[in-house]
Amino acid sequence: MASSHEISNNVILLPQTNQLIGLYSIIRDLSTKRGDFVFYSDRIIRLLVEEGLNQLPVEPSIIKCHGDHEYKGAKFLGKICGVSIVRAGESMEMGLRDCCRSVRIGKILIQRDEETALPKLFYEKLPEDISERFVFLLDPMLATGGSAMMAVEVLLSRGVKMERIFFLNLLAAPEGIKAFQEKYPKVKIITGGIDEKLDENKFIIPGLGDFGDRYYGI
Amino acid sequence: MSTSKLKPRTSSRISQSENSSFISLSMDTLPHPIDDATVEIETGITQSAISEDESLSKSKSNYIPPWTEPYIIGIAGNSGSGKTSISQQIVQNINQPWTVLLSFDNFYKSLNPSESARAFNNDFDFDCPDSLDFDLLVSVVEDLKRGQKVNIPVYSFTSHNRTNKINTIYGANVIIIEGLYALYDPRLLAMMDLKIYVDTDLDVCLARRLTRDILYRGRDLKGAIKQWENFVKPNAVKFLNPTLHNADLIIPRGLDNTIAINLMIKHIKNQLLSKSRNHLINLKQLGNSIKNFKIENYSNVKILPVTNQTRVINSILFDKKTNRDDFIFYFNRISRLLIEFASQNFFTNVFNKRIDCVRCNSHSGVELKQVSIAVNIIRSGDCFNTSLKKTFPDIIIGKLLIQSDSRTGEPQLHFESLPKNLGTNDTVMLFDSQFISGAGAIMAIQVLIDHNIKEENIIIITYLSTEISIRRILHVFPNVKIVIGKLSSMEKPNDKLWYNEEEILDTSWPFRNRFIDSLYFGTD
Repeated sequence: MASSHEISNNVILLPQTNQLIGLYSIIRDLSTKRGDFVFYSDRIIRLLVEEGLNQLPVEPSIIKCHGDHEYKGAKFLGKICGVSIVRAGESMEMGLRDCCRSVRIGKILIQRDEETALPKLFYEKLPEDISERFVFLLDPMLATGGSAMMAVEVLLSRGVKMERIFFLNLLAAPEGIKAFQEKYPKVKIITGGIDEKLDENKFIIPGLGDFGDRYYGI
Repeated sequence: MSTSKLKPRTSSRISQSENSSFISLSMDTLPHPIDDATVEIETGITQSAISEDESLSKSKSNYIPPWTEPYIIGIAGNSGSGKTSISQQIVQNINQPWTVLLSFDNFYKSLNPSESARAFNNDFDFDCPDSLDFDLLVSVVEDLKRGQKVNIPVYSFTSHNRTNKINTIYGANVIIIEGLYALYDPRLLAMMDLKIYVDTDLDVCLARRLTRDILYRGRDLKGAIKQWENFVKPNAVKFLNPTLHNADLIIPRGLDNTIAINLMIKHIKNQLLSKSRNHLINLKQLGNSIKNFKIENYSNVKILPVTNQTRVINSILFDKKTNRDDFIFYFNRISRLLIEFASQNFFTNVFNKRIDCVRCNSHSGVELKQVSIAVNIIRSGDCFNTSLKKTFPDIIIGKLLIQSDSRTGEPQLHFESLPKNLGTNDTVMLFDSQFISGAGAIMAIQVLIDHNIKEENIIIITYLSTEISIRRILHVFPNVKIVIGKLSSMEKPNDKLWYNEEEILDTSWPFRNRFIDSLYFGTD
C-alpha cells in the first residue's frame, strides 16, 4: 500500500508512486507553462500539507451520530500555525489554508547578505502565542538549508519546541537534509522528493529551477 | 429536480416513461432515511449463510441486470382500434423507468422512387406485412435484451421515407411493441411475455381513421376512403385478423373497455413486481458465498490508510452536531484524499519521457496517461465534484441516476448520460459517496460494461461502504477496482482489522443510511 514513511530519523517522504513522479516530471520540465506549473505544484503541496497534518496528535472522543449511534472517534488536539519563508514559501500558504481554514500564518524574510554571502534575517511577523503551537514551516526547496535553519533559529528563540516544528518542502537535497538532522534532530522534514545532489553553485540537481520565479512569474 | 429534465429522451413515437417516484422517494430523507433496499437485503443475511458456502472463490456470479430480462408486451389491432392509446395508458399506469415503447410506425421499409410515387398517390400498400422491416425490429429487441445500445430509425409519413434522425436507446425494463402486426412475426411472439389484441369493430375503426387522416394528417376524404377500401380492410381480413389467435388477451371494444384495461394493467403490475422480487433475491444471494472474506486477498480493493487526520475527519462527518459548513469542508478534504489515493494506486500507467530541466538536460521522468472520464452516480457521487475538478480540471463527467423503488426496494436505472464512443481502452472513475446494499453500484458497473468499458478499467470510488456491498460487487465483478474511505464489517471481527479499529458494523447508523448527500447538498 502506498503510504508515506519515515525514510530516516524524522524525514518523511511522500510515497514515490508513478502518479507523484508524473506530477514532478511536469513541474521539472522547462517547457511546462506557468499555469500548469502552478496547478501541479499546488497538487503536490496539498499532499505535503495532508502528510504534515497527519503528524499531529489527536485524542479519542466519543461521537454522537444521528440515530443515537455512538462512534469511537477522535478530535484534534493542539493548535497549529504556518510560517512561510518569503517569497517562495508563500506559495504553499494556500495549500495549508485549504486544509485549515482559519490558520494563522507568520512570515519570515531571509535574504543573502551581499557582503558576507550569508543568510540574514530581514523581517519576521509571528503569532504571539507561537510557543504553544505546532508550526508548519513552509519553503518549497531545501538545498543547503541555510535560510530554513535560520528560520528555525527564530522559531526556537520564540519558545517553539523543536519537536513541534514540521518543515514542508517539495524538493530536498541530501546535503540539506543531513545538515538539518545534525543541527535540529527533532525537526520533522516532510518532503515530496529527494534529489541527487547539490552542484558547485549549491543548486539542487536535477531540481526544478527557481521555484519562486516559476510560481510567481517574476 | 424536475421530471422533464431527467426524462432521458423523448420523441413522439418512442417514449421512456416519466417516473415520478424518484421525487417522492423517501430513502434519502434525513430523519428516517433508511435505504429500502438495504433493510430488505440486510435482513436476508444470516451469519450462518456466510460461512456455510464454498470457500473463497473469485468465480464470476451471474448477476442478471433487470434490463436483460425486460418484460415485453405486444399490442396488435386494427388501424384505429385504439392500440396507441392503450399502450400509452399502460406506460402511464405501470410507471416504470426505462419503459420503451416501440411503434411499428418507425419500422416501415424505405421506399424506392417508383414505390414512393405510388405512396404519394395513395396507391401504395402500407398495410401488408411486407411493408414492414421485421428483421430490424427483431434485432432491436434482441439488442435491448443484451443490454446494448440500439438505434431506432425515425420514419416520416410526409416523405414516406426514413429520416436522418435516429433515436438511441439503452436498457429497457419494459418493452411495449405496438402496431398492426405486433403479433405476426413468430420471432417476436417468442420473446413476448404478454400478447394483447385490441379487437374493435371495423366500422368504428374506419370512423376513427377517417377523423385522424383528414383532421391530423392532411389527407382528403377520397384518398382516405381509397386507402381503406384497397388496402386497409383487405389486409386486415387477410393478415391481421388471424393474428388474434396468437393473443393471450383480447380486448373487445378497445379503449372503451375500461374494465378489461384495468384488469390487464393489474396483471402487468403483478408480473413486474415478481420480476423485481426475483431481481432482489438474486442480489441478496450475491456475496454470501465468500468464506473468510479478507480485504487483503483483493489487490484491486484499496482502503484509505487510517491516520490521525482521517480519524478526526470521519468523526466530524459522523457527528450530528457538525454544521453544514464544516460538513462540506471536511467532506471535500476526504474526497480529495480519496481521489489522490485512487490515482496513486491505480493510475500507474505511465510513459517514460525524457525531460529538460533548468539545470539538467534529458532527465528521466514519466508522463501520466490521464484518466479522462468520471461518472457520478446522482446525486451521492456529485459530492466529489469539487475535489474532482481541483485534481483533474478538464475531466469529462458523465452521470447515472439509479434509485431504489420505494415499494420494492429494487434499484432502477432512471437516467444515463455518458460520453459517446466509449472504448475498451478508456478508464472510468465511478463515484458514489456510500455503498449500502451495493445494488446501485452493481447496476452502475453493469451500465459501464454495457457501454464497452472493460471491468478492470473501472475504478469505483466511495467514501463509506459496508462489507456486504463490497462482497456483492466483487462476487459479480471480481476485477473491478475499488477505493474505499471507510469500510464497516458484517459481524464483529475476530482479529483486529487495521481499517476498522472501532469495529463499526454494517448495521450501524452511518453505514446503513444515505446521509452524506443530504447533508452535503442540504436537501433531504
